[in-house]
Amino acid sequence: MEIFSSGRLSKIKKKGALGLSKQSGFPSPATHYTEPGIDLHKELIVNRDATFYVRIDGDELSNYNIWDKDVLLIDRSLAPKKNDLVLVVIDGEFKVIRFPEAFLETEFILWGLISYIIHYAR
Amino acid sequence: MIALVDCNSFYATCEQVFRPDLWGKPVVVLSNNDGCVIAANKEAKALSGIPMFEPVFKIKKLLIENNVTFFSSNYTLYGEMSQRVMNILSSFSPEVEIYSIDEAFLNLSGMKYFSMNCYGHQIKDTIFQYTGLPVGVGIAPTKVLAKLANKISKKRVSENKGVFVIDSEEKRIEALKWADINTVWGIGNKHSKRLKNIGILNAYEFTKLPKEWVRKNMTVVGLRIWNELQGKSTIEFKTVPQPKKGIGTAKSFGKKIEDLGMIQEACSSYISEVSELLRNQKSCATYLQVFLHTNYFSNHDQQYSKSITVTLGIPTNNTFILISEAKKALNIIYKPGYRFKKVGVCLSGIIPSNYVQGNLFTPTPLWDKNQLMDVFDKINRKYGKSTLFSGLVGTRTKEWELVKEDRSPRYTTQWKELLKLKTINN
Repeated sequence: MEIFSSGRLSKIKKKGALGLSKQSGFPSPATHYTEPGIDLHKELIVNRDATFYVRIDGDELSNYNIWDKDVLLIDRSLAPKKNDLVLVVIDGEFKVIRFPEAFLETEFILWGLISYIIHYAR
Repeated sequence: MIALVDCNSFYATCEQVFRPDLWGKPVVVLSNNDGCVIAANKEAKALSGIPMFEPVFKIKKLLIENNVTFFSSNYTLYGEMSQRVMNILSSFSPEVEIYSIDEAFLNLSGMKYFSMNCYGHQIKDTIFQYTGLPVGVGIAPTKVLAKLANKISKKRVSENKGVFVIDSEEKRIEALKWADINTVWGIGNKHSKRLKNIGILNAYEFTKLPKEWVRKNMTVVGLRIWNELQGKSTIEFKTVPQPKKGIGTAKSFGKKIEDLGMIQEACSSYISEVSELLRNQKSCATYLQVFLHTNYFSNHDQQYSKSITVTLGIPTNNTFILISEAKKALNIIYKPGYRFKKVGVCLSGIIPSNYVQGNLFTPTPLWDKNQLMDVFDKINRKYGKSTLFSGLVGTRTKEWELVKEDRSPRYTTQWKELLKLKTINN
């Protein structure tokens, strides 16, 4: 299970210029086109200070396409819209639900919006 | 204006964020080694008879009877949550002074067209939304008044809702009259006793004392507080941490230890920690103190304690030199036949690395090159703490290590300890 042993996503370092540009012979035609590689942390996480991770244990949420051992990215800074997947607290327990259009304040306490589901595909 | 933002029962609420089953229930956090209670949430404080800073073994029964949940301290988690709070605060002001793990001053000058009350609520609500941590906000013209406003914000919760602003003369006087003299920031026990003796019971009466009297009897420090309480700002913002003047660490062993080798390993490990801190702030230490003692609380153990201070030939921050010096020192103070509870080290006489003077009589060892320590630190930063360590720290089971029986998972820093959601009966 590589995804579990690969450490925090945040440890992925930004890669600056490509190694290519350091060659000493014929100048690389890509010199002026280099860009840093894709950084998942930057793409998936908008607000680092409000983002938390949750590991799923069990297949009961498969109707939401959330499977055993998946990792949820929860961004507490985002306001949920109708039908968004959210992590809520009901009677002192975490639950995943679709955000309803109308609800009573006593029904649940919103913990955070699920922005991504990381699923190991192999 | 200056804001003081501080988290309510920070350690306990950090634990509760990830444990909704404990919302509204009493929670306490124990010190390193599960020695005593160091933090309690308001539900736990409301239970009478749970004394803070009391050894746990004396009150464990009481905690269990009252259904109090207790946690070993999880400083990794608290540190990371604190960092989040501070990051969020820095979006509210360009100048944030981190005063402690759970408090910060914000410079809000130049915001005179904002409603301070609204701004305070915005700060409070944002931190709660992003992190789940409740905070109190006090806003006033000076630091001492902001500290006071913060206290008031928490006292009359229904009225203030966690935010209190001192923005008028009436409010300032009202706040000063409300504040007991011993609750004023910066006035210690000794001074508050003395002030009470001459009939000064609250902050308002204190500000009515003549300036000369305060200066004469409470030095310039007291005068600063006197000025601050009048609304004249005299305490500057410190946004850059001051280099430490002494660095030490001492932790109780997980169990009592007789073996010198084991104690040496603990000592070497502490030296590694403090010398790294020393290198981070680019300084060197002149003196090394090592101390060792048995368990004071035990009635049936023979007691022994001894401390020794070594003057280093040349001030250094080199882990290996310091470890070998500490080893020598420990050999001198160690006495066989006692069951030791704690070893500690303290580095002092701290000077900037580039001011270190050579010593005519101690030749600089050839390998005392800073490059070695640089590489050492770089590797440890890249591959994780203690990837490289001195052989004297040892590789066997660290029997001296802290007991953290009831530590919560490090939810925010360890991929393998993430918050787990069991999805049964969902």
